[in-house]
Amino acid sequence: MNHRPTARAGSVEIIKVERLSKQYGSGANSLRALSDISLSVSEGQFVTVVGPSGCGKSTLLLILAGLVSPSSGDVWIDGAAVTGPLPEKISVMFQEAWLLPWKTAVENVEFPLMLRGAPFAIRRPRALSLLQLVGLEGFANRYPGELSGGMKQRVAIARSLVQEPRVLLMDEPFAALDEQTRTRMGNELLQVWEKFGRTVVFVTHGLTEAIYLADFVFVMSARPGRILERFHVELPRPRTIEMIGNEAFGRLRNRIWHLIGGA
Amino acid sequence: MIVRIRRLLVRLTLFLAFVGCWEAAYRAGLLNPIIFAAPSVIVKAAVKDGWTFLAAFRVTVLEITMAILMAWCFGIIFGVIAGSLPILARISAPMLSAVIALPLVVIYPVLLVWFGLGVTSKIVFGTISGVFPIALNTLTGVQSIDHGFATMARAMGANRRQIMFRVMAPLALPAIIAGLRLGTALIVIGVVLSEMLASTDGIGFWISYHRSLFNTGQVYLGIILALSITILVNMILSFVERMHFRGGDERFVR
Ligand SMILES: Nc1ncnc2c1ncn2[C@@H]1O[C@H](COP(=O)(O)OP(=O)(O)OP(=O)(O)O)[C@@H](O)[C@H]1O
Ligand SMILES: [Mg+2]
Repeated sequence: MNHRPTARAGSVEIIKVERLSKQYGSGANSLRALSDISLSVSEGQFVTVVGPSGCGKSTLLLILAGLVSPSSGDVWIDGAAVTGPLPEKISVMFQEAWLLPWKTAVENVEFPLMLRGAPFAIRRPRALSLLQLVGLEGFANRYPGELSGGMKQRVAIARSLVQEPRVLLMDEPFAALDEQTRTRMGNELLQVWEKFGRTVVFVTHGLTEAIYLADFVFVMSARPGRILERFHVELPRPRTIEMIGNEAFGRLRNRIWHLIGGA
Repeated sequence: MIVRIRRLLVRLTLFLAFVGCWEAAYRAGLLNPIIFAAPSVIVKAAVKDGWTFLAAFRVTVLEITMAILMAWCFGIIFGVIAGSLPILARISAPMLSAVIALPLVVIYPVLLVWFGLGVTSKIVFGTISGVFPIALNTLTGVQSIDHGFATMARAMGANRRQIMFRVMAPLALPAIIAGLRLGTALIVIGVVLSEMLASTDGIGFWISYHRSLFNTGQVYLGIILALSITILVNMILSFVERMHFRGGDERFVR
């Protein structure tokens, strides 16, 4: 795995979305989920997406992942137009880990490589080193049913890194966890991110989480989802829990809160 | 281990006691020899004519094995594909349920015309008897899997075939095995039944042939053979089940 120099402010555009719209269904019961979204993300950035429930955040992420096709508009990731899944460039994570229950943790991590026919000698060491990265080296041979929710999501993080993607798309990956675990997972994710410097797009309901993790926060409107504004989070890294209490953090949080319509 | 040996001994003792009482009742003249054959009569029937029953046994085992192979393959493959394609599932699920409710034995005469009196018609009838419940169980099993698994697999780069057979089929395995149990039982019934109706060999033929000659010993032997095949098949299924659930059910918490 290649370590990226810390060129976080780098300007190489890795995600580009132009005039993206999405309509589910057709005719009388059609539903406009996204309307005219344009955005761009530079390589290595950690961006978060917040917005009211049902505004199309998950839809946007699925379109970025090539798992849902847009009604109009274009998406490019790392120079390639996205028309279907690009497993070697993009990996996704959801609220649930979707680990295969009959495979052990390490077998789940190496599963994407197995699908590509990678030999054991290559995939197993890589999977083990990623499990170590997420602190699960002692649980490599456990089955998902024997792991806690947080541990399952750690396995999912390891699995999402195994193909060395350029972009990680995460849809509320820690939403099902208790608050303490969520905070800890957020910090661990930041550590992993700082080590590998992949670009991350992270959807969340939590404004605090959104600001704490991000370089940029994208705020979306209620359905049909549009990008209302992009906020630059100028807190230094590494982030610490204390920053959540500081004034700049609170101000930003309030602005986003009002923008979404928290009143 | 000791508990198991003791349990085995208890069962064996009970079995021998049962056989002994049966034999004693027969010798005492309490049982009609046309209706009940004593254990000794059955053994005599078995060794008579140079173990000819083994040939019949072999034919039936061959037919059942072939029918199982075909019904399992077709049933599982069709069920997995149809379960993953909503349109195909919507069309075929009601059709499969309807076919399962039919008394399929009515088509056996047609199969006889097409495939003759030999083993082929038995294999085909056995396959038809078992394939539909296997297909339907597999289909509904695959359908009930959360879409999240398929979405995740697609994102990881799995192609259609890999999603179906490396993700969906194993996830549906509990339902598939339930279907296999039902379908396989129906195959054994279908094969023996079709042999009894019209054939030239096999256990079913053996039973109906000797019944018409009032060879009660041979008839009982045939029944015991048919039962032993069922028990064998069930043992194989339990083995398949255990292979999958090695390590206990809690792994299947989804
Ligand atoms: N497959 C689908 N078919 C039809 N409508 C859909 C589909 N998926 C989502 N929608 C609709 O599109 C809208 C946006 O859904 P989406 O899941 O993207 O919202 P979200 O912002 O992720 O919501 P949440 O914050 O609750 O997760 C919703 O109104 C939803 O009902
Ligand atoms: Mg969502």
